[in-house]
Amino acid sequence: MDFVQSPEPGASSAAPPIPVKIVIAGGFAVGKTTTVGAISEIAPLTTEAEMTEVSVGVDDPGQRPGKTTTTVAMDFGCVTIDAGLKLYLFGTPGQSRFGFMWNDLSYGALGAMVIVDSGRLDDCYPVVDYFEHAGLPFVVAVNAFDGQLKHDLDAVRWALAVREDVPVVAFDARERRSVRDTLLVLLELALSRAAGDQVPARTPH
Amino acid sequence: MIPRDGPEPADSEPAGHSPAGPARARIRPFLNAPRPGSQPTAGHGPGPPDGGERPRPFVLTSGRVDGVDPNICLETQVSVRPAPPPGAAPVETLTPEMQAIIAMCAEPVSVAEISARVPLHFGVTKILVGDLRANGYLDVHTTDVANPHDPETILRVIRGLRTIA
Repeated sequence: MDFVQSPEPGASSAAPPIPVKIVIAGGFAVGKTTTVGAISEIAPLTTEAEMTEVSVGVDDPGQRPGKTTTTVAMDFGCVTIDAGLKLYLFGTPGQSRFGFMWNDLSYGALGAMVIVDSGRLDDCYPVVDYFEHAGLPFVVAVNAFDGQLKHDLDAVRWALAVREDVPVVAFDARERRSVRDTLLVLLELALSRAAGDQVPARTPH
Repeated sequence: MIPRDGPEPADSEPAGHSPAGPARARIRPFLNAPRPGSQPTAGHGPGPPDGGERPRPFVLTSGRVDGVDPNICLETQVSVRPAPPPGAAPVETLTPEMQAIIAMCAEPVSVAEISARVPLHFGVTKILVGDLRANGYLDVHTTDVANPHDPETILRVIRGLRTIA
């Protein structure tokens, strides 16, 4: 008698999709939410998460890191890949003090897309460092606001000092195909690493 | 308690005496919309600055902030069980937040979506979802995960994205 509202038992019997995720990282206002929204099949949603924050000042390395918690807003969206697989895209702030959040997010992620504004690269140094050390495949995606890059891609690569095998691409966060192609670059990298044909790190001797 | 027309954005009145609102008991700290009628009777702006008069998020979990299944992630899928277990309290008697969560899960949905749509703090959502699983209302599919290093999984995602025009 209490179940009149509930759907037929068989209605939701389909197995839930297996979730996979990609992290969309970047500094303030570089286009993370735009990127998520361009390809997501739902309007980007926001969740607030309490994160342990370790405030380590770059200027005062001697100081003991203080641990506090902070609430961080995360935008996300999703893409149904096939009947049994659903891709989630989580946008996350790029500041170093959110490093603990990256741990949570990167665990089990296929890879990361680091969005940079070629006009202010310093926003993304911490997250580039983090993903390099974590061994997570990532691509540096330079958001071409209005089709304009302030610096060419070689200059961006040089300034970020990313490894040779890290793709640096230009894209337009508003264009679905552009976002899709950037994700495909990332996934090809992830695939080549997963397949084990990746030349390990440094130059062979 | 007297509904007033729109809360004035407080023009910083530090000396305003605290709002006499003991009847403001419903715990809905995550709704962004200002609640009508939640203003103090006098013309003071909201006394404490942002959030000061709202309960802290983890009031909803009786203060618990951990002990939750660490395998519950943002993307973990949640679905409602076809029927609540015998002897379980009727859904109508659960808290509004729990009812809202159950109502969302007729189709499998991620914990992140639940958190965003109810809306609830993500940490709170995880705990409540864990409670609802423990009490037999929800299935939380923590074991349905893909190995991110599996080439076949990556290939499936590549194929799926390529179909996007």
